[in-house]
Amino acid sequence: MTRGRRAGFAALALGLAAAALLHGRLAAPPVYDGVFVPPEPYRWESPPPNLRAGNKAPLSGQATLPVLNGQVAGGGVQTDDNQVIIYFGPGTFKAPAGTQTVKCTIAPDPNPPSPPTGVDLRGNAYRVGCVAQPGGAPVTLGSSYHLTLRFPPGAFKEIDYNDGSGWRALPTLLAAAGDPYASVNAVGFGEYAATAPVGATAPSDSIFSILGRYAEFYGILAFVIIFGVIAIVQEIRRRNRRAPAVPTKKRRR
Amino acid sequence: MIRVGLAAPRRAVGLTGPVLGAALLRALLLPLGDLLSTLVFGGCLLGVAWVERGTPTLRASGGGELGRARSLLVGLMVGAVLVAPLTFGSFSARGLDGFWSWAALAAIIATVEEIAIRGALYRRWAEEAGPVAAILAGAIVFALIHLPRYGWGAMPLDAAVGLALGGLRAITGRVLPAAVAHTIADWGAWFWV
Repeated sequence: MTRGRRAGFAALALGLAAAALLHGRLAAPPVYDGVFVPPEPYRWESPPPNLRAGNKAPLSGQATLPVLNGQVAGGGVQTDDNQVIIYFGPGTFKAPAGTQTVKCTIAPDPNPPSPPTGVDLRGNAYRVGCVAQPGGAPVTLGSSYHLTLRFPPGAFKEIDYNDGSGWRALPTLLAAAGDPYASVNAVGFGEYAATAPVGATAPSDSIFSILGRYAEFYGILAFVIIFGVIAIVQEIRRRNRRAPAVPTKKRRR
Repeated sequence: MIRVGLAAPRRAVGLTGPVLGAALLRALLLPLGDLLSTLVFGGCLLGVAWVERGTPTLRASGGGELGRARSLLVGLMVGAVLVAPLTFGSFSARGLDGFWSWAALAAIIATVEEIAIRGALYRRWAEEAGPVAAILAGAIVFALIHLPRYGWGAMPLDAAVGLALGGLRAITGRVLPAAVAHTIADWGAWFWV
């Protein structure tokens, strides 16, 4: 066996073992080319009738954050379907004395409180809560935390918060490039949901935005195919030029 | 006085620069849109392969050689092993509607990357510094070019996959199995969250 092959077997075994161990640490599997993977369909707790078929139930998420010197250093929690992502900065929590860890959960609420008149809840409402462990005592917030929420296709205006005393709107930042995500500085534990005015419709696509969407994909495809064909043709021509002439047999008489 | 001189892999380093430069350019152009940045990135990688077209890039140097069918089989197997950890995650709700066009694009981009890294770059490094250096250089470059898109968090995984693909190239002596394994690993991202 050559040195190259031995090195190859070692690299292959090491690489595959390391990849298997590292896969679980990422929230989503990567595509090793940087090609954008379209998001999977929104998971509805109570899907509209036309989306019932094929709908998958939304997932919850939880994380246990260690307490060091009486303070949580920070961390994140997200639902397993990535529809809600929360980040806590250092010092966000005020945990009772003796707290060793803080357990945070996000769960879709099948029966959320009714929205105010003139407002529709768009998609799922999620209940966010954190408790101290051991004991399960509630923790309080020392500062706001960052919450990102995915909203379903259609109208969207802002994220609302309900701490048990009714829904109220929070200043909301929309993700760039038309991604269906919005973020807020969350001010407490309770329920969060995307909202829109009753009867609002999603902004319609213009012909230019539709063309732009298709141009992106087919532009890349055409570009790669054209250059790929040129490269293959050149390779074939080069090989043909290099191919040695077949020696002709001479017969002895 | 004894002087020890090591042959510097100048041409290999010279070729590594443009590949990394392509990724850097892509990162810089990302604010202008995915289309433009990906076009430039793909164009640069094809340019690297084009410049190196004078040397055969689909055959091995510094490694063994397997037949085409066997190589393809090994590529499929390695791709399956790369996808296997994903199957422990929850199944994605993405339908097959948009899959085929997306899969074609992912396959083409994966192949272009493999032609540049496991083809042209591997050959240069193998010639000038040996197969081990070629595998390691390919893994590092593979991790670095994905850094702008996925961040530091994904870098160890990308390096590990790069190592496995480099090993595959060394064992089979071909780019094709690496491209097949790479493509299958990419496709897994569609089906699992």
